[in-house]
Formats: sequence, C-alpha cells, structure tokens
Amino acid sequence: MSVVVERSPVPRWLTERISNRHLVAIGVGWVTFFFVFPILFLVVESLNFGSGGLFDAYRRATGGVYLNAFARSFVYGFVTTVVTLAFAYVLAYYLVFASDRVRLLLTLVVVPLWIAYIIRYFGLLLFFSPTGPLGQVGLEIDILFTSTAVVVGLANAYLPFAVLPIYNSLNAIHHETIDASRALGAGQLRTIYEVVVPLSTPGIVAAGVIVFILATGSFLGPAVLGGPEQSMIANEIARTFLEAYNIQLASALAVIYTVLLVAFIAAFNAVFDLQEALGNL
Amino acid sequence: MLEVTGLTKYYGELLAVDDVSFHIDEGDFVTLLGPSGCGKTTLLHMIAGLREPTEGQVKLRGEDVTDLAPEDRNIGMAFQSTALFPHMTVRENIAYGLRMHGYDAEERDTQVQEFLELVDLPDHGDHHPDELSGGQQQRVSLARALAYEPDILLLDEPLTGLDRVLREEMREWLMTLQRELGVTSLYVTHDQEDALSMSDKVIVLDDGQKQQAASPERIYEQPANEFVATFVGKSTRFDGTLRSVDDRPIVETDETRIVVGTNDRATNHDDGEAVSLFVRPEDVDVEPATATADGGTTTTAGAASAAPTAAATVENAFPGTVEKIANLGNRTEVTVALESGETALANTARFPNIAVGDEVTVTFDSESVVVV
Repeated sequence: MSVVVERSPVPRWLTERISNRHLVAIGVGWVTFFFVFPILFLVVESLNFGSGGLFDAYRRATGGVYLNAFARSFVYGFVTTVVTLAFAYVLAYYLVFASDRVRLLLTLVVVPLWIAYIIRYFGLLLFFSPTGPLGQVGLEIDILFTSTAVVVGLANAYLPFAVLPIYNSLNAIHHETIDASRALGAGQLRTIYEVVVPLSTPGIVAAGVIVFILATGSFLGPAVLGGPEQSMIANEIARTFLEAYNIQLASALAVIYTVLLVAFIAAFNAVFDLQEALGNL
Repeated sequence: MLEVTGLTKYYGELLAVDDVSFHIDEGDFVTLLGPSGCGKTTLLHMIAGLREPTEGQVKLRGEDVTDLAPEDRNIGMAFQSTALFPHMTVRENIAYGLRMHGYDAEERDTQVQEFLELVDLPDHGDHHPDELSGGQQQRVSLARALAYEPDILLLDEPLTGLDRVLREEMREWLMTLQRELGVTSLYVTHDQEDALSMSDKVIVLDDGQKQQAASPERIYEQPANEFVATFVGKSTRFDGTLRSVDDRPIVETDETRIVVGTNDRATNHDDGEAVSLFVRPEDVDVEPATATADGGTTTTAGAASAAPTAAATVENAFPGTVEKIANLGNRTEVTVALESGETALANTARFPNIAVGDEVTVTFDSESVVVV
C-alpha cells in the first residue's frame, strides 16, 4: 500500500489552527509595516546622497532655530509633566480617599478626551483673550502666546493621562496600611510622605512618562496658544516639511527628535523600572 | 487602663455601635467577640482614633483621648491584612513606629533587634514582607506594633486568614508574648475559640450592643442571653414557660417539661416568664432506648458518661431518634431529633454503639441547664 503525499497549493501556516503565533504575527506585522518601515524610511530620507556631505541636513538641524526648538520641547515637556503630575496627584488622591462619587468624577476626568485637541486649545485661546470672559470682568490675564499659556494648555490637555495611572496605584494601596501608619504614630502628612507617595510611585512614574512623551511632541498646543517664540520641535518639523518643503531637513529633525526621546526614556528606565510602572496601568 | 463610656457610632442613619461601655485592667487580655457586622471593628477603630465616635468617651491611662488623632494616643495595632509596608524591609517596618516616637538611631537598632528575636525572626530583618510566610508577616506586624512599648495593643482579627494549625500555634505564641510583655491588649475576633482560649475577659457584641462582658468560663457556662448562648458554643435548646412545681423550678414547653437546677445559671427569672433553656452537648448523654424501657435495671452504657444512667434517677430524660453522627476526631457529636420536637446535641465517646435511626433516650442533669 503506497502513501500518497498530496501537495496542497495553500501554504501550511494558513491551514493550521489559529494559534497565538498567528495573533502575534498580526500585531508585529502591523507595527512593522506602519511604524518601523516609515521611521526607517525617514532615516533614508534624511541622508544626503547628492553633492555635499551625507549628514548635511543634520548639520543644519542641530543649529540655530532648531536647537532652540529642541531645547524648548524638552523644557516644556518637563515643566508640563511636573505641573500635570502635581494636579493629577491631588485630584487622584481626592478621588481615592475623599470622594464618594468616584465613578462620576472619573468620567468627568475622561470626558475631555472625547473632544478634539484643537477645539480645547481654541476654547482656552478665547477664554484667555482680552475679549474673553476674564477680560470682560476686568480680570485680564495676559498670558496668551507665552510659554505660560502653552504649559497651561498642555497640562490641561494631558491631565487625564496622568490621573488614571495615579488613581490606579493609589487605589491599590490597602487602607489598613495607612491606618497602621497613623497608629504607629505618624501624622497625616507624614503618612502621605512615608507611605502613600512611595506606594504610588509606579503610578507617578507611568503618568510622568506618558505626559512627558505627549507634551514633548506637542504640535497643536504651541501652534494655537504660543507665538513664534514658543515654537516646539513638532512645529518646526511641520513648517520645514509643509512650508519650506525641505523633506531632507524635516526627516533629519524627526530622526534626531526620536533618538533624543528614546535616549531620554532609556536613561529614565535605568533609574525607575518602567516595565513595572507601565505594567500596572 | 482603658475606659470606654457610652461609645456610639452612626454611619448616616445606620447605628453601628450602640452605647457601649467597658473597661480593661492593666495587663489584661480582653476580647471583643461578635459576628461580622456587629460593630466590633468600628468600636476598635474608635478606640484607636481611626474613626470619630458620634458620642461617648475613650480614656487611656485616665486621660481623655476621645478627640486625639491616632498618632497622639500611644497605641499599638495589628491588622488582619498585617498592613506591613511593602516598600520597606522588615527592619524598617519595625523601626517605623520607633522613628515616629522619637527613638534615636541607636535605640532603634537595639529595639528592632530585640523584637526581631522576640518574634523568632532574628535573621529576617533585611527581607521584604512579601518574602515571608503569612505567619511570619503577622509576627513582624506584632513586633512593629509593640517595639515602641505602647500603652495598649489593639488587635483586629490578626489570626483570621491563617490556616487552622498555624492559627492554634499563633494563638499559643501570642498569649505567651502578651504575658511576657504584660501589655494590655484588646483583641477583636469573630472566632469564639480565639476568644475563649486566650482572654482574661470576653466582651460579646451583637448588633452594635454589648451583650455580655465576663470571663471566658462564665460566658460559656452562664451566657447572659439568648444571643450569647447561641453564638458561643453549641447547645440543645428548649423554649417554654417557667413554673414552680413542688418548690422545684421546671420549664414547660408545648410538648414536655424540663426540670431546671437551682444554681445561679437558672435563677433570676420569675414564674410564668417565657424563657429559653440551653444545655451544652458535653452535659448531654445518649443511650439506646432499650436501656430505659425495662425499668432501668440494666444499661448498655452506650454513651460517654460513667454516671448512673438509670432512668428513674434521671430527672430529664427524653426519647428521640438519632439523626446524625459526626466524628469530630477527639469526640463524636450525636444529633437527636426529640419526640417533643427539639433537636438535641450530645458529645459521646469516639465510637458510640448507636447508629443513625436508632431509638434513644437523651438525658441531662437539671443542674447543667442554663435558663435565659
């Protein structure tokens, strides 16, 4: 009796039962095709294969106005992160320990995310303008088109991203740990400082990383609320590409920014265990 | 030492603790015993200062501490969850209270080491709590609560959640530790074995109200009311009316009558009063019915008792049918459905010569009856 081996025209991996490997392939494939390839393509685009040096665009990208934009992005990113974390921590603390309407308030925290950034920034713009409600009642807050306006706008926009992880980590603290601290002789503030804050570090770290990444790469905030002096790197990349149509320079700026941000996160990761912090989200 | 007067707590409309008063003497181990939701934890939290009482007063060493924050009361506290600080080592956990109470670094080190040894964990100082077993964690939590020598140790079900063997071991260990240090302790539990085996005094709480405060023996032998009688230990129960016949108190139920003793477990009730009777299973004997049917000349002594069991000499003898026989290891618990309608519980020898479905006679001494 002979065994007939039939060759199917359909490859075997397609006829197998769907396993985890297939599911992973979809995710990895998606990311590779739409994220890794485009970024790598940027690297190619940023190099100068014509006359002159290969890294000509990089030389321009690291000077003058662009250097300022890089510096500004990271400074704004840092300040926004600090401001946002401070507000988010107080809000999350209130939600966990003092509020009995947690679900409602959490919803209110998230609701702004349903509204497009451009609309929210535009709202702030009108609110702070001399003809806005504050101006009408004689309370002129002259911050429009300054760094303050940009940071206020960014901190406001990214607040929900910070509240949620901090809320989660505060919520995970066993109430009896706090009672124990009080019984052991620590006052309220001492307990917050010695017990609550250390135990919510994962949430603070996660919130900080998320806000920092989002804020540093902001485009709309500085575009709407800032002036020419508030231009961040995303604005410079957009301008170089869309107005000056200098693809090579724009690509070089994009590559530098990406490398800097990754380096920043890596350095941060060396201090805090991000995997643990982000795993708690 | 600790004096609680009229302590009351409302949660909105809900009355959680209702006018509870008691005191604890220096060095005593007192248990607050009650079912879950009876208000015992709320009561403990008010004594600790973690909750504000609606009314009432807490005095510690003669000082009114009712309005003091927990950190100003010099109390030690252990929790069911251990509540150890997960971000600190065992050593740092124990040193925490010492730091807050103003011990300097050197004193802290000696005190921490001393208490690590006291709780049998001398080499575990640098571990984190999550590297320890449940029993070890609870010992650390006790060391932490005691290291700065508080006026009183408050224990909120610290042994709940440990398995049976460990629990008994920890009970033993905790009692030794408490006696050794002589620290006044208030222990909250829903476990009657904890309460009866460890305490100098037991305070039974139900529905926010104090039901009885007495020695463990008295709580068991002479429960103050129906709740205490049913919550602490098992019993055979009869409901009826108290009457006096030939100068002897008896209780008439719908179907039968029970002779009641004249000791103080049965007094303090008036003729004609509706009462409940409780008899502990160890006071109840069960014998095959044949033994009493022929006038009590012979007994097969199927039950545990060595006492004379002839029916004529026993005042309280009731016929019934064996419903269940449960071997509980060191003893056997027999459940008998009495003809009069009640269910009787009796402890017998490990291997009684009766079986489920047997006709039996249940007997008990009138002096063992508790009337509430």
